[in-house]
Amino acid sequence: MKRVRKPVLLVVAILILLFTFTSVWGISGRNGDNKVTYIKGVSDIRWGIDIKGGVEATFVPSTSTNVTKNQVDAAEAVIKRRLISKNIVDYEIYKDYNHKRIIVRFPWKSDEQSFNPESEINELAVTGELTFREGKEYSSTATGSDGSTIYKTPSGTTASNVILLGSDIESASSPVASQDQTTGKITYAVPLKLTSSGTKKFAEATEKLKGQTISIWMDDEMVSWPTVNSVISDGSCEIEGIESASEAAKLANTIEGGALPFKLTTDSYSAISPTLGSSSLMAMLKAGIIALILVSIMMVCIFRFPGVLIILSILGQTALTFALVSGYFPFANGFTMTLPGLAGIILSVGMGVDAGIITASRIKEELWNGKTLDSAVYKGCQDSFWAIFDGNITVMIVAILLILVFGPKNILSSIFGASTTGSIYSFGITLFAGVIGNFIMGVYAVRVMLKASTGFKCLHKPWLFGGAKK
Amino acid sequence: MKVFHIDFYGHRKIFFTISLSLIAIGIIFNFIFGTQLDIQFKGGAQLKYSYSGTVDAQNVTDAVKSSTKRSDVSVTVNKNVKSADGSSAANNVTIAFTGTQNITVAQQKTIAADLNKVYPDAGFKFVSSDSIDPSMGQAFFAKCICAILLAFLFLILYVAVRFKNIGGMPAATMAIAALLHDVLMVYFVFIIFRIPLDNNFIAVVLTILGYSLNDTIVIYDRIRENRKLMGVKASYSELLNLSLNQCFSRTVYTSVTTFIAITVVFIVGQMYHLTSITSFSLPMMVGVVSGCYSTECIAGPLYVMWENHKMKKLALADGGVQAAEKLHAAPAVKAVARPADDAGKNRQGKKQTRAQRKKK
Repeated sequence: MKRVRKPVLLVVAILILLFTFTSVWGISGRNGDNKVTYIKGVSDIRWGIDIKGGVEATFVPSTSTNVTKNQVDAAEAVIKRRLISKNIVDYEIYKDYNHKRIIVRFPWKSDEQSFNPESEINELAVTGELTFREGKEYSSTATGSDGSTIYKTPSGTTASNVILLGSDIESASSPVASQDQTTGKITYAVPLKLTSSGTKKFAEATEKLKGQTISIWMDDEMVSWPTVNSVISDGSCEIEGIESASEAAKLANTIEGGALPFKLTTDSYSAISPTLGSSSLMAMLKAGIIALILVSIMMVCIFRFPGVLIILSILGQTALTFALVSGYFPFANGFTMTLPGLAGIILSVGMGVDAGIITASRIKEELWNGKTLDSAVYKGCQDSFWAIFDGNITVMIVAILLILVFGPKNILSSIFGASTTGSIYSFGITLFAGVIGNFIMGVYAVRVMLKASTGFKCLHKPWLFGGAKK
Repeated sequence: MKVFHIDFYGHRKIFFTISLSLIAIGIIFNFIFGTQLDIQFKGGAQLKYSYSGTVDAQNVTDAVKSSTKRSDVSVTVNKNVKSADGSSAANNVTIAFTGTQNITVAQQKTIAADLNKVYPDAGFKFVSSDSIDPSMGQAFFAKCICAILLAFLFLILYVAVRFKNIGGMPAATMAIAALLHDVLMVYFVFIIFRIPLDNNFIAVVLTILGYSLNDTIVIYDRIRENRKLMGVKASYSELLNLSLNQCFSRTVYTSVTTFIAITVVFIVGQMYHLTSITSFSLPMMVGVVSGCYSTECIAGPLYVMWENHKMKKLALADGGVQAAEKLHAAPAVKAVARPADDAGKNRQGKKQTRAQRKKK
């Protein structure tokens, strides 16, 4: 029987309380006007669209003709570009080559007023219009997310003279790298192939505009403005002189996207207003606090001192789950929290309470069998371990299964296709975190504290552990 | 401390009857009401708007019917829906398309426009909308069912391995029988309260799987422990009754605690008309009770019946009546834990078990 020393009780209790406090409120300071978060708290949790409100939409090609993998990639690139230009950065996007689907999920912008999912979805799904225009006159500029300037809205001759449309372009191939003989600089070129009508129009235009600029526009945004070097009459040309490979790939994707042979239609979508979401969150919070108080009262009435330790362990366990979800620990990035995720916390807290109850009941049983307090505590802890262990491992099996099936790994996707079932995934995550927390708090911490508490004279009363009054 | 002396094994027929009749009632209800799948699983559409003033459900139905040219429109109006985040109460109108066909974004736009035409002063505000393509819904449903079946498989394997010294396969099979019982009960709650099966159903089923199995494992763990203490002489029914009674207070405390917590969630969800919360917590409440009951009254007795049957067969095969006699002459339940001090006896007990196994 290894003794646990007295001070351990207080040290562990204080550590749990400290951890609970920091993981709920986080630690942040002020650096001038900016809030600097050192440790993330509950307010830093990334809430799912069922809580924060937002839109989820599944886009499919509206034609039945064969759609290639490249075309799906191109469509994804178009949607991404539109999301970013709308200033939505925390989107999630999934593509499914087998079922030719693109799934997008994004929350409302914080300054959104109208909550109009129809127009949000339409703006994303509208067929990308690619145009080649004369000159490069624009009427406004904006700053992109990477700090570069974006030129918007054609004006003057650029607005009036459209040379080519997306439908005139047959394909844009992968970028080709070339090295300048004299400077050694590597540049990239995007080869284009035009349709027969496009070839004719482009030959006329390049003849007229030789040495001048032709700008390429995606919807309302100028993406490239090459200079015409020669008359192009055979329908194949290259946009040269692009400095980075990624930029060239982006351009190729954009042009291919604009030249998509299919229109995107919205297959399925769902949207939820932020008020409904925040109402659910507040309701869960209220329910959680009431339930915690009721359970605490029950625990102390039934188990007396061990009941207090059980409450401590529940706090620690919940805090640990929040910490994993919010990204409290530097090694874990945090996860999106949804309503089923909160349900997972409730379940794992139930498991934590159960671990405490099993241990405390065992100790009580041993006391009534006539054991001394010390041996009852030690034996009770020892004998109850495997029941708790097996129970938690089975829940963990379920949690891991959920994470694998409904998470990004998606082990069943080859059969059922990708789906954004973020809500069930979140359930698996919180359940998993809860079980880990249960082993650390409900099993380890409670035991250590129970054993340490037998060393205190004031606590050394069988009644406090559920024994007879004497 | 209260020591329980409930003869769970002796009363097994009563318990089986209760469970079977509940299942029968559930099946009858299922037959009458049918199984409703949420649009997440079957495809379809649902829109929700908040408004002020008064609207008439029939007028809204007609307006939506004419703007979508669909006849499968059903409209429900909820007045004075409180919001838990403190914003003022609002009236909600829910427009559901009962068929499996989804609606397009454009259709939703015309619906909103037409509603505003019919009731210009109601100030319809968008609350939520869902529109799911039927083939996608069905694939998602199939995937969920597949996940549940996989969970069953892994749990069976785990229990069979962990409890192989008290008869792994019978223990695992009967634990699964109890789990099926609980899943059925949860399913019937969805049927009887006419809650469409959605991903909440999957979450509840998986939760109850873990929860109920945890209950069963606590009992098996006690049987495993008591088997060591009491040796092979103890009959299975004696072992079971002792173990169940020893764990009884724990089972009740845990179930009551969980039940209270879930009930609080349900009541709060009900207060604010949050169907996503109530349709989760109500079946959970039933599942918790069923999980506790199925462990004590279904899995345990079934497991003992299987083991007794095995022993009887064994005894007959040996040609000896001794074993069978021993079975019948098993002493009445004694809920006294024997101290573990008699280590010698323990070892002997183990030896005997081993010897018996060899004989097999």
